[in-house]
Amino acid sequence: MKTFQILTGLLFFLVLAVTAHALTRSEVEKNLICYACPGEALNIDRCSGGDRMRAEIDRRLALGEDKQTILNFFVQQFGEDILTVPPQKGFNLVAYAAPFVALLIGLVLAGLLIRRWGAAGRSGSGTREEDANSEKLYREMEDQVEDELKKLEDD
Amino acid sequence: MVTLGNLSQSAAFITALAAMVLLLIGLMRNDLRFIEAGRRALFAVAAFATMAAFALSRLFMTDNFQVEYVASYSDRALPLFYKATSFWAGQKGSLLFWAWVLSLYIALVAWNTRRETTRKNTPYIYLILAGIVSFFFLLLITVSSPFELLPFMPQDGKGLNPMLQNPGMIFHPPTLFLGYIGFTIPFAYALAALISGRLDPDWLKKTRRWNILSWIFLTIGIILGGQWAYVELGWGGFWAWDPVENASFIPWLVSTAFIHTSIIQERRNIMKVWNMSLIVLTFLSCIFGTYLVRSGILQSVHDFGATGLGGFFLVFMIVAALGSFLLIAESYGDLKTKHSLESLLSRESTFLFNNVILLAIAFSTLFGTMFPLISEMVTGKKLTVGEPFFNMVNTPLFLLLLAITGLCPLISWRKASVDNLKQNFLLPFGLALSGGILLFIFGIRELYPLLAFTLSLFVSATILLEFIGGARARKKLTGEGLLLAFPKVVWKLRRRYGGYIVHFGIVLMVVGITGATAFKLEKEVTLQRGQSMEIGAYRLQYNDFKSYQDRNRTVYAATLGVTKNGKPAGDITTERRYYINARQPTTEVSLRISPKEDLYLTMPMIGNNNEITIKAAVNPLLVWGWVGGVFMVLGGIMAIIPAGSRRQTA
Repeated sequence: MKTFQILTGLLFFLVLAVTAHALTRSEVEKNLICYACPGEALNIDRCSGGDRMRAEIDRRLALGEDKQTILNFFVQQFGEDILTVPPQKGFNLVAYAAPFVALLIGLVLAGLLIRRWGAAGRSGSGTREEDANSEKLYREMEDQVEDELKKLEDD
Repeated sequence: MVTLGNLSQSAAFITALAAMVLLLIGLMRNDLRFIEAGRRALFAVAAFATMAAFALSRLFMTDNFQVEYVASYSDRALPLFYKATSFWAGQKGSLLFWAWVLSLYIALVAWNTRRETTRKNTPYIYLILAGIVSFFFLLLITVSSPFELLPFMPQDGKGLNPMLQNPGMIFHPPTLFLGYIGFTIPFAYALAALISGRLDPDWLKKTRRWNILSWIFLTIGIILGGQWAYVELGWGGFWAWDPVENASFIPWLVSTAFIHTSIIQERRNIMKVWNMSLIVLTFLSCIFGTYLVRSGILQSVHDFGATGLGGFFLVFMIVAALGSFLLIAESYGDLKTKHSLESLLSRESTFLFNNVILLAIAFSTLFGTMFPLISEMVTGKKLTVGEPFFNMVNTPLFLLLLAITGLCPLISWRKASVDNLKQNFLLPFGLALSGGILLFIFGIRELYPLLAFTLSLFVSATILLEFIGGARARKKLTGEGLLLAFPKVVWKLRRRYGGYIVHFGIVLMVVGITGATAFKLEKEVTLQRGQSMEIGAYRLQYNDFKSYQDRNRTVYAATLGVTKNGKPAGDITTERRYYINARQPTTEVSLRISPKEDLYLTMPMIGNNNEITIKAAVNPLLVWGWVGGVFMVLGGIMAIIPAGSRRQTA
């Protein structure tokens, strides 16, 4: 058990490690939409409008600006719909939270369901006939596997 | 041919309606003769649909540009191969393709069930399928006929979008459609079971192969789509979380959940409501994908724009959803499971959690896809939700799914003891952790990639243990050597091991995707002849430039000498093409693939004096993603190979 705890502890520290790296143009491009091609991310688009945006990103990267400053510049120019990632504020927070809330609800419901099934199993609320059928089905499947193995031998 | 096409479509619609009427009369009067007549009418629907499909193919082959659809997607210079596949390049043709394949699937069901017409649920299966196919033919003959004529005969057609002139794109749409359409069959069986009250797992057993086959097609379609994006679009990626890509991914996730829990219902006769709901959701999500592509409600590089069909599909979806869930609600008492689990810790429980995670990913993908519309309705502001958002939200969910994929095989069916779990768990966990520590030492320090690789090791170890365990069991039973027992047990229990091969494919895919997204190198440089650029271990020197005419395009090709780690590694040529009748040039991707990494080159611009702009990328491990896709498909195929096929061939 102790070994298990040590291993878990090590894993915990392992996953905490996160490193930083230099900003590239493509990392900024991914977060922007081409102003000339609505709906198309800048890293996919190749139109001349996109080229102008890319040139501006290069210029700002050369000045040493960080990603958020560059994105803010484009938001000022074209509005928030130039971003591929909705800003984490106001109603947009729903988009970020909803999947995890849905997961949480799903996990809780699944947990309750399993608990109910487990309770039914322990109290034997399923009828004897059903249990017998279930057991029979299970045994049949096991027999089938053994039969198949035997047939293979015969082959 | 135009007349043949129009008449065939109309005849298919009328025959489908006639089949419905005959089946209804047969059901009301309990008269088998009418049911048999209705069944036979389904073959006629398939025959008429085939004639319509033949007519459209012939119109493409003979360059009949008076047909508006042919003029829009073909031209005289288009190679014959692409002319044949232009059939499904546009909205109208793809709708006919859908109706045609569905009618063939229905004919197959009608043939396979020819001795089952006396069963209570069979006529309902026919009725539901006839209803669905008649909807598609109704659209074809009223609002979306591919046989509409132009008032004049153009000299030439507009041609096929150059980006679609790629082998991956030829098979990507039809395989996706084969998947989408295939789920109609289990949906019809499920509804028929609800209507007829035959709620035993028979419908699941009968549709198991349909489910897995449709899932395989959907998988192939999605992978081919990613492969097409990678080698054709030239942006260096393979999945952009575009609304239409998402529309294909959602049914894949829901159907994957369904395939897992249908195993539980088959084994234990529990989760009936859940499975009914999942197959309904799978079918609805397939129709939703079609709706999304044809409604124009969201902007995507893949959609057909506003086609006027959005409303029809929306109504169809609402009717199908209401009808299905009302039927489920009505049968809830009968569907409600009376069986129970002996233990909270069982494989059944892990399947349920796996379902929750798969559905959470499906929900997050759907919600993110629809969020621009939701946001516009609530706040009045239209936003765009792109790749970084989906990666941010879905990556933790995928990692959770990967973890449970590894945990599942360690937990026994029905009842698992904690001691047993510990015994099974310790070795794969130890292996994965050791691997994780080594990866950390060797420089992988980012959280998600480290977790993805560590969990991949964990899942691989559990799968390996499963295979070894099976071979050992057979060895013990038969006395065979381990090397002989291994393939024999895998083949004999191919449904089970096919599933594990699919899981291993997913592991490889995770490795490929993680490598190519987390450790990707990218660079864009403008070069004069003789100049060079460096990326990773590669040095690329611009050596040569030429232009020439090739069939329906003018090609501009630049050749670069490649040096890797200072050693010469041959030449690589990248192209820019101008297709006849196309309004914009295309970049052709040049690839050098190795197990370690892909070197990826495109030439987005050509300047004066043959100055070129090269966009280069190094995508580590990506090839394993494609290999993983092959494993997934092979594992799926293995799981549906019928027992006894070996004996038949002998």
